[in-house]
Amino acid sequence: MSQHADGHAAEHSTDSHGGLAQYFYVFLALCVLTTASFFTYSDYWPFHDQPKIGWAFMMAVSSTKAMLVILFFMHVKYEASWKYVLTIPAGFMSIFLILALVPDIGMRGRWASEERQQFMADPRVEHKAPVRHSESGRDHSTEAPAGH
Amino acid sequence: MAEAVTYAGSHAEPDHGGHSDTGHAPAGLEYHPGLPLTNGKLIIWLFLSTEIMFFAGLIGTYIVLRFGAPTWPLPREVHLSEPIGAFNTFVLICSSVTVVLGLEAARANKAASAKMWVFLTLILGSVFLGVKLYEYNAKFSHGIYPWKPHSLIYEKADLNYAAAVRLRLGDLDSRFKAEEDALKTSLPAETADKDPALVEVREKLAVIKELTEYELKQEMIAAKDPSNAVRHVALDEMAARVMPLPTGHGSHEEGLNDQHSWLRLPIVIPGGNMWASTYFLLTGFHAIHVLVGLIVFAIMLTMTLGVAAAGMVENIGLYWHFVDLVWIFLFPLLYLF
Repeated sequence: MSQHADGHAAEHSTDSHGGLAQYFYVFLALCVLTTASFFTYSDYWPFHDQPKIGWAFMMAVSSTKAMLVILFFMHVKYEASWKYVLTIPAGFMSIFLILALVPDIGMRGRWASEERQQFMADPRVEHKAPVRHSESGRDHSTEAPAGH
Repeated sequence: MAEAVTYAGSHAEPDHGGHSDTGHAPAGLEYHPGLPLTNGKLIIWLFLSTEIMFFAGLIGTYIVLRFGAPTWPLPREVHLSEPIGAFNTFVLICSSVTVVLGLEAARANKAASAKMWVFLTLILGSVFLGVKLYEYNAKFSHGIYPWKPHSLIYEKADLNYAAAVRLRLGDLDSRFKAEEDALKTSLPAETADKDPALVEVREKLAVIKELTEYELKQEMIAAKDPSNAVRHVALDEMAARVMPLPTGHGSHEEGLNDQHSWLRLPIVIPGGNMWASTYFLLTGFHAIHVLVGLIVFAIMLTMTLGVAAAGMVENIGLYWHFVDLVWIFLFPLLYLF
């Protein structure tokens, strides 16, 4: 398409959105959210013994960050309905791709042959002994004996 | 395709209320031959939708592999530094901002300032890649590679692992003995014993001898009953001496491989092989995308980035934001999970 068309499209989008101040606020929000997910690494994070809470929190934060980038930096918020045509089928395809992997790849450990199991890593202790009710993914006392 | 076209075929402005100038089309209706966006933008969005599937496939595979694995290493066990990852996230977010500011400058026909923003994006992208390179190096120096001849990773401290340690020590022993012999013949007999090269080789041989004895002792304990807990203790202790798995934030205990970088003994990281494969695949493909973006930005620096180029800046920007987007998910998945 011609330069005219490009310039034209440009005029339209500048008309319709919030400009530099908005970019600044989005940037600020992204920084705050990055700090928030990094917070799960710090000692102040209260759920180190329940990693699943941290995972859910981080995925929520990441999705929020992704939405901010998509809506404001990629200007998708101001685009016409074609955005759905190009993104929703791709999104569905991605979900099917992942689900299709679950039976063969995700559940591979359930029917691994004995020979293969010999060479597989031992499961972490908390999975082996549910009696202890220790969900801790950070407990290594049994795996790395204190050496010297 | 940005221009709306009346169904009689004449061009009309897209947003002026929809009046056709031919008189044939009903008022308020316009015939659009395609999507209301420029060809370039349509192509970049089509490309991005394939990219969505590409990275969703990769990230999804990682998640499925990870949660189906019997065990998965913690970030610190594979020498991943969370602060470095967070820094890189920050760098990419900044670069997304600079590219969007470049677009605004181009739209306002401020070519010089647009070029300045694109240049800044190029710098930030290079910083990201530089940090990535540094991180890769840290993995390689610890023997973490995604493929076998270089990778030193073993899944567990079993007799296989013990045999691998023994073989490595044997290899080193014969190599340094050959070196010692070569030095002895090349150096004059009176001063040979004080030659620093020879002294160093002899020190290495002494370390190897000591470790071989230790290895054999542990292996003997383990071989008595390969299925019992004693084996576990004997071989786990050896693995922990070679490379201890860190137990707290930043507290990385030095192992034999750190004390003597030439040793490069096999290491035990439960789940480490699959981790290395997925980590290098995901970050590698992401880094290739960053590199492609940097090449395009470098080419853009040779152009005039006025309003005529705003469409191009926007399209490249869309690609760059997508690359940022992928990293937004990779950072917590790889560094914090």
